[in-house]
Amino acid sequence: MPLWFIRGLRRGVVTTRYPARRDDSAACLPTPPAFRPRQLTIQAADRMVAVCPSAALSRRDDILVFDVGACTACGKCAAVAPDAVAQSEDFELATTARSALIKKIPIRGGER
Amino acid sequence: MTSVDARAAEISEQLVRQLAGLGGLQVRDGGATRGAVTVRMLPETLEEATQALAGKASIRLADMFGDNGGDAPTLRLVWALDQGYLLTETEIEDGQYPPLSDVAPAAFVEECEIYEQFGIRPATGKPLNRLMLPPHAGPDFPRLGHRPDQPPEETHAPHTVGGQAFEFPFGPVRQVGVESLYYGLVTSGEEVVDVYLFSWHKHRGVERRLRGLTPGEAIFFAERAEGLSAVAVGWAFAAAVEAALDVTPPPAADRTRAVALELERLYNHAAAMAALCQATGLTVGQSAAEIALERLLRVNTAAFGHRYLFGVIEPGGTARAPDAAVLRRDLPAAYGELRRAADALLSTNSFVDRLEACGILTAEQARRLGLVGPVARATGLAVDARLNGGPYAEHQLAIVTADGGDVLARLQVMLGEAAESARLIGEFLEAGTAAERTSLPSGGGRGLGWAESSRGEVLAWVALDEDGRITRARLRPGSVRNWRGFDDACRSQNVFTDIPIIEASFWLTAAGLAR
Repeated sequence: MPLWFIRGLRRGVVTTRYPARRDDSAACLPTPPAFRPRQLTIQAADRMVAVCPSAALSRRDDILVFDVGACTACGKCAAVAPDAVAQSEDFELATTARSALIKKIPIRGGER
Repeated sequence: MTSVDARAAEISEQLVRQLAGLGGLQVRDGGATRGAVTVRMLPETLEEATQALAGKASIRLADMFGDNGGDAPTLRLVWALDQGYLLTETEIEDGQYPPLSDVAPAAFVEECEIYEQFGIRPATGKPLNRLMLPPHAGPDFPRLGHRPDQPPEETHAPHTVGGQAFEFPFGPVRQVGVESLYYGLVTSGEEVVDVYLFSWHKHRGVERRLRGLTPGEAIFFAERAEGLSAVAVGWAFAAAVEAALDVTPPPAADRTRAVALELERLYNHAAAMAALCQATGLTVGQSAAEIALERLLRVNTAAFGHRYLFGVIEPGGTARAPDAAVLRRDLPAAYGELRRAADALLSTNSFVDRLEACGILTAEQARRLGLVGPVARATGLAVDARLNGGPYAEHQLAIVTADGGDVLARLQVMLGEAAESARLIGEFLEAGTAAERTSLPSGGGRGLGWAESSRGEVLAWVALDEDGRITRARLRPGSVRNWRGFDDACRSQNVFTDIPIIEASFWLTAAGLAR
């Protein structure tokens, strides 16, 4: 056991400095989408709703409702509407209220 | 994987000739499952055929499932041969079939599952346990087929056994383990008399959810049937679809799948080692193993863009290719971290002493229960779906086995496999990997696919209609087979505190069973 104690001390601290410093490995990870309302059309919204496998997206008239809590960052929405979607690069999604994870995105691109 | 070499076909032909002697047998061509020799049997000959197959040392009952596709429910049994698979299918017209688990004990869990989902049962009327669906599952509860006439038995041991033992629940929220689990534990005070897993709390109905989807849509759910085996289950599912549609993925895509699969094996084995340290109270060892685990997960991220390798596999090929330069640069260091931690652990007597003679399973138990993966290999059985070919056929694959059958043997098998995985990844990268895909043709068919996850053989069976939509998909992760060996291992003269150690050495998931 003393050997393990010494081994642990010699290994030192290996945890990252997060949140004081951003973790570099996060740059490669998929993140939930960020929508561009001006590029977002009704048709694009419907395409995204249709392909979303976890039902994180729905449309109510000219509002795209995005449940961040249900999103798995699979990227299927970006694949069908690349102009209207970008990676948010946001990992800090925790909230104290479930309702705060429901985002309402206005569809401003008009019908095309 | 779906390719099977000529020798496997020869073995299958011999078996079919033998089974033909029983009568009522028809080898199917049209409408048969591609990827396996398909034999249609009458219910009258099913028991005798099961007896004949289960009695052979080189044949293992790998899966059994129901299907509601025809006029009557169909019972399908998948038999693993030395190489390749044999599939029997039998239409069950009067709601009963021969008691197969009496001759092949490996079939009992599936008998319970089939009863809950399709309402058909073994003819002896023996009790079948609640496995998948919750007690409140009423007539409208979604299931794959018909509701059983009578609800299944609740899994409970008597609260007193011989006046000495008693039963108490353990879980579902507890400290050890990354998933919530709920055991029923029967004890006489310290010794484990019996232990059984309740899994219906977590049933998600994934197989039912797949119905009506296209393979491209369904792969998302298949990967999530057992998230820690996302690549293996995804590959088996994709291979079943490819077999059904008679397409072959590009060789470079197959090698990409193999790279992802070996990375998955590496991080799972590192996680199992960390869990073993936690279970034995070796905190610094746990930290050392978790450092290795985190480095391996970061290698996954850098190589494939996902810590748990989701989204790599797609029917027909792969959606992503590994960053070979990153893998060549980072993997040796991450694996080295794991190896150093393992070497230190294996030279720590107090750790090794806790693993020796703990949770023993014999080769005969493993064979009888149809166990797979490191759990089976630690008893000396060289069971490995990678032997069936695919990209592994072009590379020398060393199957790591041990003889002890205890926790230490399982750890040694995992460590040997981790070394083999690191070597194989280098070879696959050398041979060339790519994100390529063969287009899926329109039309239907049935196919069987398989892959070897870190927990053992994964099987998938898929039936597609003429529109290319799934009418039935069966996913059988390795955990489904190995949970049935867990209680045997726990009962083998072990005490309470051995259970977390045995559980870590099995490194199974509740999700795989409750898919």
